[in-house]
Amino acid sequence: MAERPPAERGSFGRGFGGRGGRGDRGGRGRRRGGRKEEEEKWVPVTKLGRLVKDGKISSVEQIYLHSLPIKEYQIIDTLIGPGLKDEVMKITPVQKQTRAGQRTRFKAFVVVGDGNGHVGLGVKCAKEVATAIRGSIILAKLSIIPVRRGYWGNKIGKPHTVPCKVTGKCGSVTVRMVPAPRGAGIVAARVPKKVLQFAGIEDVFTSSRGSTKTLGNFVKATFDCLLKTYGFLTPDFWKETRFVRSPFQEYTDLLAKPTSKVLIAEVHDE
Amino acid sequence: MGGGGGGVLLGMPGPWADDNREPSDFYTSKIGGLPDWPFPVENLAPNLLICGTCGSKLCLVSQVYAPISSGTSNIEDRTILVFGCIIPNCGNTPLSWRALRVQKVDSERESSVSAEEEVPSTPPVPVSKANWLDDDSDEDIDLEALSKALSEAGTMASHSKKKDGNQRSESAVKNSTLVARTGVDMEMPGKSLIHSNQVVPCFYMYTQEPSSKDIVSSVCSNYSELFIKEKQNCDYNDDEMGDAGEQEVYEYDKALSADRTYLKFKKQLDAYPDQCFRHLYGGKPLLATAELGDPGNCKLCGGFRHFEMQLMPQLISFLLEGADDCQKIVLENWNWMTLVVYTCPKSCSNKLDRGKSTNSGWIVAEEAVLVQFEKTLQESIHTGYFS
Repeated sequence: MAERPPAERGSFGRGFGGRGGRGDRGGRGRRRGGRKEEEEKWVPVTKLGRLVKDGKISSVEQIYLHSLPIKEYQIIDTLIGPGLKDEVMKITPVQKQTRAGQRTRFKAFVVVGDGNGHVGLGVKCAKEVATAIRGSIILAKLSIIPVRRGYWGNKIGKPHTVPCKVTGKCGSVTVRMVPAPRGAGIVAARVPKKVLQFAGIEDVFTSSRGSTKTLGNFVKATFDCLLKTYGFLTPDFWKETRFVRSPFQEYTDLLAKPTSKVLIAEVHDE
Repeated sequence: MGGGGGGVLLGMPGPWADDNREPSDFYTSKIGGLPDWPFPVENLAPNLLICGTCGSKLCLVSQVYAPISSGTSNIEDRTILVFGCIIPNCGNTPLSWRALRVQKVDSERESSVSAEEEVPSTPPVPVSKANWLDDDSDEDIDLEALSKALSEAGTMASHSKKKDGNQRSESAVKNSTLVARTGVDMEMPGKSLIHSNQVVPCFYMYTQEPSSKDIVSSVCSNYSELFIKEKQNCDYNDDEMGDAGEQEVYEYDKALSADRTYLKFKKQLDAYPDQCFRHLYGGKPLLATAELGDPGNCKLCGGFRHFEMQLMPQLISFLLEGADDCQKIVLENWNWMTLVVYTCPKSCSNKLDRGKSTNSGWIVAEEAVLVQFEKTLQESIHTGYFS
């Protein structure tokens, strides 16, 4: 397979369908009519969801900054929205032996990402392929993480590679990522390359070990590796943190101040 | 969880009330507003409506008409009321929530109640006093005499002073805030005046049975059928299945910050994003986190309590739509995921209550409400995707 620039994602087909079918999902969805709109309605369940729906949180970084758990996938849809692309890595049947024969279910691996520092991985087993794919897209959105990018050498232009050597492990598979100079491209096997493209990393050298044939472990090891990029303490972070108020505190304090005076005035007016 | 949970009833939001304090019927299901007591509210023990954490008056959060028509018992007049505390920093402890079951006891007791029928006629009397601006002591004395007259008719003498305070506030609450203030002052002078006449915004509800088809289709609705067919047509069997590498095994659903229990909870909510409560008498609750407290035993008969209904967090979003600023502070602070109400399976009533016949045949029993909160930051720290 020839090297591809990271901008073109998934235009080759591994038999899993091209970008065209997925690209206008938004349009196709909305054309469906009345019943669709009713089902697209989102009533938030968590406090964070209510803040996001009201538009009080403008970017996902505010959520990551305070390590707030994201419990609703609609939050990600609202904040990242149309920039988010997804791809099914693999659909494999898993079987369970029962007295009446074998029961087969399908396991789908889906990677979502916006190509600019956010990537998520979802795994779902279900009796039908379609259900597994849809479910894993939702789980992938719930597991979106920020990816830290840095420089190989001179700090010119935008960050393009991992900031340092990081390694991730899952099962027997370990994946190691090493910073690469610009123009090197993603030097990796087909599976982690897909994940790294979604993450928005342009150049990186990788090395893997273990039974990489098990795609589940391989892709999870890569994901774990990306998770660690923001966990690595570099000298940039030595400066003391200036703590900012979390969105929960910020928006409740705002409302608390002016109204209490109004209430007291009302009662005394009687 | 197939088939819509097997007979569960969902409460869907209906129209807003024109006024948050408008009275409706004992048989109406609604969120917020004022409770519709079927008996004069001065007969209610006042400690039932006091917050366990901060001591202020609880506000009605939901009133659900829940008759039972199962084999042994057939109780038509039965309602579950859930009360919550609306002091801004007090909504997030389990003690700030209370559930009451109001039901009519057996009708054979009604014959002894006939002497009490003049009790409901007394509320109109204090309304004329609502516009007085005099100090409280005068009104106290008059109502003391009134209540003594009532107690001669057989009501409990011990409730007299507090009953009258509540009676005035309930009947004249629309007229002026002054009346509500005096009602509260009689019990707790010097208490904050700000929240004495607050009510939660009110809207009515209707019930609906879920259909199992909807649950699956809602998950699928966002994705084009054509896209899915593309995936299915591709050859997913070409992966190396037959060789000796590690085989993929079944994995339970997992996300970074959501475990299997929560994902099942969310799936049911997404099927009907409007649901405000779920009612399944004697069924299993839909939990958001796997741990749940113990509901304890019924206070009247000592028997084990079973699940009856639970309130869902979508109602907070709906209430926020209709709330004014001061109510919004309280509503935004609420971070519960679900309120699970456990009731006595026999819907028992105290024998003493039947003898008293103070409430014209109605009894009020306290039931258990367990709260499941959103996990705070400290509790939900995760070490990695695989932990």
